[in-house]
Amino acid sequence: MVDPGWYMGLAAVLFTIGSLGLLVRRNALVMFMCIELMLNAVNLTLISAGRALGDINGQVAVFFILVVAAAEVVVGLAIIVSIFRLRSTASVDELSELRG
Amino acid sequence: MITPEISWIAIFPELLLALGAAGVLLVEVQWKPDKSVLGTIAAGSVVFAAAFTVLQWVDASDAVEAGAVGDLVAFSGMVLMDGMAIFGRFVILAVTGFGIMAGWRYIESLGRRSAEAIALVLLASAGFSIMVASNNLVMMFLGLEVGSIALYVLAGMSRERVRSDEAAIKYFLLGSFASAVFIYGVALLYAGTGQFEVLAIRQFLSDTLLLSPAVALIGTALVIVGLGFKVSAAPFHSWAPDVYQGAPSGLVGYMAAIAKIAGFVAIARILLTGLSEFELNWLPIVAGIAALSMLLGSMVALVQGDVRRMLAYSGVAHAGFIMTGVVGASTSGILFYLAVYALQLVGAFAVVSAVSGPANAGSEIDDYRGLSTRSPMLALSFAVILLGMAGLPLTSGFIAKFGVFASAWSTGYEWLVIVAVLASVIAFAFYLRIIVVMFMTDDEGDDLPVPGTLRWVLGVAVVTTIVWGVLPGSLLRAATDALPL
Repeated sequence: MVDPGWYMGLAAVLFTIGSLGLLVRRNALVMFMCIELMLNAVNLTLISAGRALGDINGQVAVFFILVVAAAEVVVGLAIIVSIFRLRSTASVDELSELRG
Repeated sequence: MITPEISWIAIFPELLLALGAAGVLLVEVQWKPDKSVLGTIAAGSVVFAAAFTVLQWVDASDAVEAGAVGDLVAFSGMVLMDGMAIFGRFVILAVTGFGIMAGWRYIESLGRRSAEAIALVLLASAGFSIMVASNNLVMMFLGLEVGSIALYVLAGMSRERVRSDEAAIKYFLLGSFASAVFIYGVALLYAGTGQFEVLAIRQFLSDTLLLSPAVALIGTALVIVGLGFKVSAAPFHSWAPDVYQGAPSGLVGYMAAIAKIAGFVAIARILLTGLSEFELNWLPIVAGIAALSMLLGSMVALVQGDVRRMLAYSGVAHAGFIMTGVVGASTSGILFYLAVYALQLVGAFAVVSAVSGPANAGSEIDDYRGLSTRSPMLALSFAVILLGMAGLPLTSGFIAKFGVFASAWSTGYEWLVIVAVLASVIAFAFYLRIIVVMFMTDDEGDDLPVPGTLRWVLGVAVVTTIVWGVLPGSLLRAATDALPL
């Protein structure tokens, strides 16, 4: 059996990719995908930690995070679509109306 | 088989709020009634929830006196009914009620969509209210998300679409990023300690000596970062000014206040209760965040030309002040500050929405020229609220600041208190700037009518600012009794 520690390491790498992607990419959709990647890295961490500890709680928590991620998709895509209709671009660099 | 222990009493206020939200939507679909009917349903659920919270408070104090603290844990350790949870919940309910009143003109202007706005406000409050009461960190995350997702939608609801959409997407992207960071911190805490429950983590950490606490410490840091975003503490504040400026002005005060209350109660619960064993590790980080927030917030607010952005940066500074209370490990100081500041924030944005129109985005400081002659009542109450935020003696803001500063001083963070006092002095400058513009410049523009509901909100904000400044005893006693388990 592969040691759960490796999976947690992989999850840490995925989480880092996600957060770096959020910082460097400029397309709202891609940034949104990066957030999903981060949430899935969390899920992987919880599953492997639960496995390592022999505790079911970590694996149960994953379901709740999946539901939250789905709810975020609903709201996030609606906002992105609404912006795209108004400006026909999804680049966050174009969103510079608010400043001071 | 173990049947889970169900205690509806513990979550009854949240149930009432959720039922109110569902009721508003269903009544709107079925009967399309007058807006005032929807308002009555919402007000009913908030008032009943608040009344029930008072009963919970009496119950909880009796249990503490009888030494039966086990009664305060419900749903097998998921939800707590301790003083801090009930106090936080009551403040959230008060802010919800006044927030709906302050935003009523905007909600009415939405037409058919007003039921959605009311339902979203009630759902956000239900989420944040469960968040302040949760013991289990996953439960806390769920409450945080229920509240935050509702707020993302509210931020984008204004009819001035371009700016409102921009505020919504910025709030959404950074808010979900913060949530992901928070839940990753929770996952690492779980990996390090094997526990999700705050009280169990405290028990575990005091019983066990972790040989390699690195995982749990990284988890702690990520939790601080995630919640720091939510309360807009520097350096995680970049979303706040844009959201405050772009979201519909009628509801910004509510949105800002409620996220701060829930975020800070969660920070206090996790750090002061659950992770008190790691105090030496997180104290310097929290102190650094506090100092940076206070200085950056007060200084950047000086150069803002838009009153809402100014209030946003003042909110960053206030997040720093409340963080000093976390450094001082004083839950009473934090709760007192939150109650005082939340009401002032709702009042301040009620003025902003009266001046710039309920759905309008942007509120240049020039719009406030000569407000004292155009609407003496607005100008006077805004002045009192701003002075309260600045922390002038004989206002509630002074007592609140004094409480958190004193606690930080007594834990040996003298430098932080000196920074805080310095920042308060800088902050006076921009609060006074608005007051000067209102009272000492010439009259420009027409007289401003103040709608009835706004009068009530302003009245409450002004009266509490003065009364709790002169006679803070009642609130101080309640905040001192509101202990976490």
